[in-house]
Amino acid sequence: MLKTHYIHRFFAGWQIFIKNPVAKAGVFIMVVFMVMALASFCLPLLGPMYDPMTGIDPDIRLSTPPSLTHWLGTDNVGRDILAQLLEGAKVAFIVGLSSAFISIVLGTAIGMVAGYAGGLWDAVLMRAADIIMVMPSLVILLILASLFGQFNIWLIVFIIAILRWPAVSRVIRSQTLSLKQRPFIEASQVAGASSFRIIFRHIMPNVLPLAFLYMTFRVTSAILVEAALSFLGFGDPSQVSWGMMLQWVWKSGHMFQAPYWLIPPGISISLLTLAFYMLGRAMDEVLDPRLRRQAQG
Amino acid sequence: MKPGVFLVKLLEIALIFFIILTLLFFLFRLSPGDPVSKMVDPMLTPEDMDHLISQMGLDRPVWEQYLIYVKNFFTGRFGVSFHYGEPVKDIIKQRLGWTILLFTTSTVMAAFAGVYLGKIAAWKKNSRLDNIMSISALVCYTLFIPWFALLLLWGLGYQLNLFPLGGVLTPELWVGAGSFVAKALDLAHHMVLPLMTLFIINLGSYLLLMRSSMLSVLQEDYIITARAKGLGETVIRDKHAAKNAALPVITSVGLNLAFSINGGALTEQIFTWPGIGRELIFAVSNNDYPLAQACFLLIALVVLVANLIVDLLYAWVDPRITY
Repeated sequence: MLKTHYIHRFFAGWQIFIKNPVAKAGVFIMVVFMVMALASFCLPLLGPMYDPMTGIDPDIRLSTPPSLTHWLGTDNVGRDILAQLLEGAKVAFIVGLSSAFISIVLGTAIGMVAGYAGGLWDAVLMRAADIIMVMPSLVILLILASLFGQFNIWLIVFIIAILRWPAVSRVIRSQTLSLKQRPFIEASQVAGASSFRIIFRHIMPNVLPLAFLYMTFRVTSAILVEAALSFLGFGDPSQVSWGMMLQWVWKSGHMFQAPYWLIPPGISISLLTLAFYMLGRAMDEVLDPRLRRQAQG
Repeated sequence: MKPGVFLVKLLEIALIFFIILTLLFFLFRLSPGDPVSKMVDPMLTPEDMDHLISQMGLDRPVWEQYLIYVKNFFTGRFGVSFHYGEPVKDIIKQRLGWTILLFTTSTVMAAFAGVYLGKIAAWKKNSRLDNIMSISALVCYTLFIPWFALLLLWGLGYQLNLFPLGGVLTPELWVGAGSFVAKALDLAHHMVLPLMTLFIINLGSYLLLMRSSMLSVLQEDYIITARAKGLGETVIRDKHAAKNAALPVITSVGLNLAFSINGGALTEQIFTWPGIGRELIFAVSNNDYPLAQACFLLIALVVLVANLIVDLLYAWVDPRITY
């Protein structure tokens, strides 16, 4: 019963969502990058020359413009740029989605507890959220890197998630506050359910869809922060990411000579983050009918 | 804001900063490697090393080290930079002005332009002009800053050779007897590209915010009243709607700060602008821990204080808000 309710709501929402031109553009860009990310799994089939990290074209030992064998050209040691770009798409999705997922889980849990418990818990948690929210995450990652040295990709994902839950928790908190007033919560309190049970059994199913809709904004910021970190040379050295590619162009001094190498990774980062951001804004309009009316004029 | 509330806010910020300071101290002790080799440059003479070690209390028990660390912070002793061999305090002093110059200019310009353009976009809602502006703002907002900066450098700096590729001054002009006007023009010339980068990325978020704030203000009853009174369109837009709609933009300067500090550090790094952000990145790359620590603490302090100022400003411009 509950399930059909959700599915129904999902399809109804999707109908409105996909009519929105912003959503259409976002979905289109995202599908293109998904295809790219999936294509990166086919790279090993093309032979060792197209390995994004170690593949070196034996005939080419320097950066060359696009050609038939290397559609986007090669970098300064003869690695295929297209192969790196595809691999970077995969890494961007992994970083963005997993980091966003962790911050959603954290933000939802904290937001529900703050909203339901109220009082001191609420004050302390939300004050912490305020402070973390205004701190520049790139700067924090840099100071941590200065203490602990190079991070691997999962640690970076995790730190970004820890720095980016507050925005989610504020939305979830306000949702929880309004749910708390509903009769069914009062009923379960009277029936003797523990706070833990009420939060995770009764409140969570109601706020979770909202939390996942807000995930798109977190994906955007996670991809941007990871790319910036890699660009500055503090990324995971064993992963080819778009930020890393830009770092290579820059550090090898090819940025003025090799536009074919400079342009693709930056466009990809900007477009993919734009796509996630557009999806988020379009979803906002679905969720908030007031905005929808405005959008349709 | 009542003086009492202000005092509470001030105490709160002091407490938060203290927590950050403490966290950093313990993270430093938790991190791999020996604290002495991290804080004291091994290239110094033994006497200098001993002096620094006793100044920072690195030969004492941990709790005493902590007290000395806090005391050193408040007396401005951050140790000596490994790379420059100078006290960290002096380096920070030199860099701070450059960051403030770039940062405030770009933020003020972007906020004013964002408010102005956002106002027009909301007023002409769903027109072609609005669509173009909103989409461009979205694109600006999600642009990958370093890449955009590199593109500007490549296009305007290298290909068209319009602007210098980095730095803040032409050495010959500043060492020699250049006139004041020539020096100012030279600085402005160096500032165009980094300023443009920061301006464009900040403009996007201010424009979008002003637009949505303006749209919700335009639905309020007092706007209908103003129309019913027969006031002119421009008067309603500028005098009645835009003034109120601009209020959330003021708070967003505080929230936006994290975003623009990240962007500022990246911009400084690419245009070799000698500011705090570039110094932080440089210090982290060179394992210059004392310098990195001081830059970080300074940034954290600035963020906290700026948010307090935004709170104050907000209460001042909007009398309905009481804390």
